[in-house]
Amino acid sequence: MKFNDKIPIYYQIKQYIYREIIINNLQPGQKVPAVRQLAVTLTVNANTIQRALRELINEKVLISRRGKGNFVTTDAETLTNLKRNVVEDQVSNLYDQLAALKITPDEMLKYLNNYINSRKEVHHD
Amino acid sequence: MTEILSINDLSYKRNLTSILKQVNCSAESGSIIGLLGANGAGKTTLMRLISGAAKGFHGEISINGNTQDIERKQLVSFSHQLDGVNSHDRMEKIAEFYQAVYPDFSESAFKRLAEFLELDLHQRLGNLSKGNRMKFIIAITLSRQVQLYLLDEPFDGIDSMSRKKIIASILQWKPIDATILISDHHVDDVANILDAVLIIKDKKMVVSEKADKIREEYGQSIEDYYESIYTGGKDND
Repeated sequence: MKFNDKIPIYYQIKQYIYREIIINNLQPGQKVPAVRQLAVTLTVNANTIQRALRELINEKVLISRRGKGNFVTTDAETLTNLKRNVVEDQVSNLYDQLAALKITPDEMLKYLNNYINSRKEVHHD
Repeated sequence: MTEILSINDLSYKRNLTSILKQVNCSAESGSIIGLLGANGAGKTTLMRLISGAAKGFHGEISINGNTQDIERKQLVSFSHQLDGVNSHDRMEKIAEFYQAVYPDFSESAFKRLAEFLELDLHQRLGNLSKGNRMKFIIAITLSRQVQLYLLDEPFDGIDSMSRKKIIASILQWKPIDATILISDHHVDDVANILDAVLIIKDKKMVVSEKADKIREEYGQSIEDYYESIYTGGKDND
């Protein structure tokens, strides 16, 4: 995995696991790979992985079962909130950037609509 | 976490020339720490002092509370550059020699590492590429079962595939509570895998900081931060 070296690595690992859950590469109730395996796969330090997992456990996104490992939560509400938070993060970035260009919310919607429609046309080809 | 290494007021001179001045630092057990600095800044000297290979310094170096040279030698595995080794020897024979010299050398760990690093142990040392030679050094160094490993410039002048393989071997085989100090003058190689960085400049330890803290609090990459220390002239005199 390619990391942005300006952003704390543990934070980027959390984002990575959120994404894996949202796109169902990690399914509700599924076991998360062991710390060392994640460390080698992502080429980061085991301590950094541990920190990310600890925070995910605190957020109840992962459930730690003693001696068995960490599992993705099966709680529907937690999963819905997780998805909403990640999507809102992206939307808020977009909003801030457009607002900085002095685009009004109404115009934003128009631009977004037009853009989505143009992407749809490309897909239909 | 507990401290594995602590250095207090370390100063070292050779032939009346000062090499290190009033160095203070410590390392947490279980971490991977980058020792960064320009060529000639004193990284190798510091490692030689920690490992007990160089003597005659002022101050104190303590590993798990042990301060004597002889005690430290047994607690630290320092990456040898194999300078004194006959280049006609095959790697398997050199490994046997290490096994005989170091009681803590684990043959099974060595076999695992050699296999992971794809080393053909029948080959003679003198015939190895630079990358394979370094892989062999890493395999020997990490095969000793100790609390502290010192890797001196393990990525110097080797190709990116060998580098990635060596980094993977460190991540894969490092015992959870073992500590690794890696010196490097090219930060990009190791930035992702570091818990903390120590930066040596002008004979002094000018920075001792957690890696994610540098990213979080200064919003800088480790490399940019390192360069700003060197060029920005954070003056500590």
